[in-house]
Amino acid sequence: MLAHDTVLHRAGVARSGNAAKADPITTEVVRHALNSAANQMKRALVRTAFSPVIYEVLDFAVAIYDPQMRLLAQAPSLPMFMGTLNFCVEEAVKNIGGTENMFPCDMIMYNWPYGTGSHPQDLAVINPVYLDDGELIGYTAIKGHWLDIAGKDPYCTDTVDVFQEGTIYPGVKIYKRGELNDDIYRMVLANSRVPKFVAGDLNAQVVGCRVGAAGFLEVVNRFGRDEFRNAVENMFDHGERVVRSYFESIPDGRYVGHGEMDSNGITDDKIPFEVVVEIEGSNVRLDFSNVPETQVGPVNCPVPSTISASRVAISMLAGYGEAPHEGHFRPVEVVTRPGTMFHPLPPAPCFLYGWPALQAIEVIYNAISKALPDAVPAQSGGCICSVVSWGTREATGEPWADGSPHPTGQGAWNGGDGGTMLHISESATRFSPIEVWEAKNPWMMDKLALAQDSGGPGTWRGGLGVDFHFRMTEDIFITTAVERTKNAPWGLLGGESGRANGAAVRFPDGRVVSVPKTTRFMVPKDAVLELSTGGGGGFGDPAERPRAAVEADLKAGYISEAFAREHYPHAFGEAAE
Amino acid sequence: MATRIGVDIGGTFTDLVYYDDETGETVEGKVPTVPHAPEEGVVNAVKGHVPREVIEKAEFFLHGTTVGLNALLERRGAKVGLITTEGFRDVLEIRRGDRAEMYNLFWKQPEPLVPRHRRLEVVERIKADGSVYRPLDEASVAPALAALVAEGVDTIAVCLINAYANPAHELRVEELLRAGGFTGGISLSHKISGEYREYERTSTTVIDAFVRARMSNYLKRLDGRLRELGFKGTSLITRSGSGSMTFAEAEDRPFETIMSGPVAGAQGASEVAQMLGIEALITADVGGTSFDAALILNGQPQVLYEGTIDNMPIQTPWVDVRSIGSGGGSIAHIDVGGLMRVGPRSAGAAPGPACYGKGGTEPAMTDAAGYLGMLGPGKLASGITLDFEKARAAIEPVAAAIRQDVETTAIGILRIASSSMANAMREVSVEQGLDPRTMTLLPFGGAGPLMATLLADELKMNRIVVPPLAGNFSAWGLLGADMVQSAARTRIMDLSPESIETVNAVLRDLFADIATRGDHLSRETVKTARIDLRYKGQEHWLSIEVPLDGETVAESAEGVRAAFTAEYLRSFGGTMTEAVEIVSIRATVRAPLPRRNQTLKPPEVSTEAEESVLAYSFGCRKRMPFRVVPRSAIVEPLQGPAIVTESTATLYLDADWTASTGDRGELVLVRSEAN
Repeated sequence: MLAHDTVLHRAGVARSGNAAKADPITTEVVRHALNSAANQMKRALVRTAFSPVIYEVLDFAVAIYDPQMRLLAQAPSLPMFMGTLNFCVEEAVKNIGGTENMFPCDMIMYNWPYGTGSHPQDLAVINPVYLDDGELIGYTAIKGHWLDIAGKDPYCTDTVDVFQEGTIYPGVKIYKRGELNDDIYRMVLANSRVPKFVAGDLNAQVVGCRVGAAGFLEVVNRFGRDEFRNAVENMFDHGERVVRSYFESIPDGRYVGHGEMDSNGITDDKIPFEVVVEIEGSNVRLDFSNVPETQVGPVNCPVPSTISASRVAISMLAGYGEAPHEGHFRPVEVVTRPGTMFHPLPPAPCFLYGWPALQAIEVIYNAISKALPDAVPAQSGGCICSVVSWGTREATGEPWADGSPHPTGQGAWNGGDGGTMLHISESATRFSPIEVWEAKNPWMMDKLALAQDSGGPGTWRGGLGVDFHFRMTEDIFITTAVERTKNAPWGLLGGESGRANGAAVRFPDGRVVSVPKTTRFMVPKDAVLELSTGGGGGFGDPAERPRAAVEADLKAGYISEAFAREHYPHAFGEAAE
Repeated sequence: MATRIGVDIGGTFTDLVYYDDETGETVEGKVPTVPHAPEEGVVNAVKGHVPREVIEKAEFFLHGTTVGLNALLERRGAKVGLITTEGFRDVLEIRRGDRAEMYNLFWKQPEPLVPRHRRLEVVERIKADGSVYRPLDEASVAPALAALVAEGVDTIAVCLINAYANPAHELRVEELLRAGGFTGGISLSHKISGEYREYERTSTTVIDAFVRARMSNYLKRLDGRLRELGFKGTSLITRSGSGSMTFAEAEDRPFETIMSGPVAGAQGASEVAQMLGIEALITADVGGTSFDAALILNGQPQVLYEGTIDNMPIQTPWVDVRSIGSGGGSIAHIDVGGLMRVGPRSAGAAPGPACYGKGGTEPAMTDAAGYLGMLGPGKLASGITLDFEKARAAIEPVAAAIRQDVETTAIGILRIASSSMANAMREVSVEQGLDPRTMTLLPFGGAGPLMATLLADELKMNRIVVPPLAGNFSAWGLLGADMVQSAARTRIMDLSPESIETVNAVLRDLFADIATRGDHLSRETVKTARIDLRYKGQEHWLSIEVPLDGETVAESAEGVRAAFTAEYLRSFGGTMTEAVEIVSIRATVRAPLPRRNQTLKPPEVSTEAEESVLAYSFGCRKRMPFRVVPRSAIVEPLQGPAIVTESTATLYLDADWTASTGDRGELVLVRSEAN
């Protein structure tokens, strides 16, 4: 039963065609072709984008929707953005006055966080797509992270309302019937600290949407709209069956996963929260209603991202590695309560929306582990450990900015030690080579190394965390957003915790200041930012880890002898050779 | 002009083509690959198909092989030690943080080629501008060497941070390793790649060290066997970035050959495009397990500068060939949601498609094609007669599962396979800002001609060129692989008249470096240079060819900028006003092989009685009689529907297509309404 003050969210249930009339072959061909069109869009974006946040960090979402705002195809990019764009397409179209005010070759800009699910920096460009006879056949849309959108700082952990976070474009046409809307364009450039980057990335989003529209139209025209729609319905039904078949294998029940945020960015109190996973037959309901009230600091996660986190978690488990579409989301229901940190209302700050969202993915796995421990890994470092930096170059006086997530140890699972990678919510993202960093940014790396003893012990051990030491060669500003520094990553089934994340600045005079969440923190020349990312949790009793594996870890230096003696004493006994 | 022999080793067959300059004849042959001793397969092919006098007069032996690639994939290579800058021995293991399978919660990187205990650090540091921040502490080299020797390493890779900007420390480490008594191979990162990105450069250097000995042994053995057979000419091997290099050079730079597998086909396609004056061409190489597509523009393949093998990056030029797991052996199956999928699993060579009668029971794409009559009567040149009843039996259960008849299901298998191949081709084209409709399709490989008209229909292409020897086209392509050497260096700076001077200085170094690699280029050579350029602040770059006067850039900074802007506009549909920055400089020396004056036997009217089969026409959506015509008998334009047979491939000519034999032995297919 739903409480009266909660809201139930479901995937699009509209129907546009008749699945029964679709032949299975055409369905498979249409599915391929739509994914291919989305891939073409992504490639156009990545090749044209100006900022590394797009082409290297892949901080964007690229998708094709039908007129009912149902996801037809999404190209692989940031999983965290999986299935979020429908909300912003819907809101953007509503805000310009509905489809009757929309015309071929219009491009709409939209970044109101409660519709995008993100912070204002994640700006969506939406392109309505029409057939030759003027019928609206759907949308191509790209949400991309802009390097700066004139928030109070380029990156913030301490906002107290959404208006501090950046300029809002509540659904405005940057192109009207193919003509650039110069008034808006100049507003865009005027509202960024790095207008060149913003101009380049906006252009890339527009190009990507156009490429996608051409590809999308080609698919529809090839089959004709009726056959196309029937195939789409059949494709959705098929995706739904795929996901349902997975949940049928998990015992029915109500499983509770527990998470905890370090702080809200303003006050330092820990924020525990829980997500309840209810499985009944092939239905799965993710209940976020029992979470804390909206926070005063920016760790509030607008509903689209709460839903998206749920979809990521489920698709990774039950989607069989396939590119997602609306059908995969149908078995998933999400419950939220307005006025909470997973359903904040305007103008609550939400700059760090992604941090509770990405933790929620692993909290959902934590819940599922209580039903089937083998189905999921132990916790990873639990954060993307972001550092954003900027300043003015000494020699040229030019402003610069850069930012990156960082890899952590991944959780072990029944059958494998954890690796060292970015958080699963950014699973295709890469951090920059240090030679690229050093060629353009005013720092030198002292160290990029796996941290000994950081992986959680277990039959299968967690992946190692990483030590990054950045020695500044000029004064720079940083914003850090590093969560899960107060709680170590959990192990499963007797596996132990890994090391927790940490970030600190070591000043030339030897003073050390911890900076897990900080905004516009000045790191002077010769000071060192020491980012120590967490290790993954272990899986299973450490006493069961084969002796040879412990010895190999020792030889490689993944663990020290003291650590090995403490956690794996069985490897040192007189035991049989 | 020169007589030459080309041998390409594939997973299943080793293909041979030779060209006899005296007669102008081109002859093909095929033998089974010998996986445990690939050179034996090569020798068998040469002994079995090339007359002794041709071997003796041949000037070139051109070779395509996956020996290096397999060594990597199977992790059978040298025991490598790695020396890095203090603080960075884990670069090779930490990598870049991404997952190759982004929706797979349990994906994990493969083990690094060098385990952590064989990765050691020395004290030194160079800055991004090439200046020395911390001089090399020579005392730190000896303990590293001692530890590696104690581990019994065969070779040592050295990759120091920012060595691309200043190689002094790497060079000194090499001297100290030698002075310390190390006699194994040493791979220095700046010599291997010269480009920035420490993980990618380290990976490339380690791959070089890992495959070098194996590759060198193989090439020596093979060369020896060829000499025994009477070969007296120059032995060449294909490079990943197109062209070829001598065996001697390949022993020194084996990593340059690793991704050369599908290159010979693209190479051949370039030659065909040049021969026939085709501006924009896209290849469709359909084999048993994979489908490869490449763009050939103005007679040149597209070259990229970083590739990946088994999730390990390699910084070396390679021809941009896109592969998907779809081919004649791809198996149709029912997925967990109840839809039919085709591939990527393949029946492979064993058991092979059901209709081969070697025990395969699952329906492969070839079974569907055979059932539909697309392979004609099914008598293959190899002597196998296809058993279409077995094909039907294999398709039946899949058909039942999707509630369709066998005919519809077989048609569906072909439609699904051809649409995924067409998608790959479309993505490759659109990425370059090109529309496939304006291009020519060049199908080859065992199943390429079978899929040709289907793919052209999917992509609305109007012209197909089926090259001579389509089934052995990769080996044919080898015969035209000019000798090429290249070198590159990252040097980030604004594009200006002054920086062009720096480019010239770098080019002098690079050409000098190439010259030290061997004297076999004493024949006439052509030098070319490219500059990688980008808008300042952007990371992605475009590689622009610049005209040379000798070894110097014969173009002003303004002219270079204009060329960059034009290419940017072509690729991305817009330009920017930002300053332009130089990233890397690339030098290439090409020694063209003598042109071959290929003549093929003119077609002759066949005197044999013509057969016909009742096959499915995708254009007319029904079965109809298809004439079965030997390729060599196409004198007059042949109007489809027809099945055109030749020794190594079968061409399916759908009803709305017409085939005519061209001057060079190629078959030109045009859509009837476009006539």
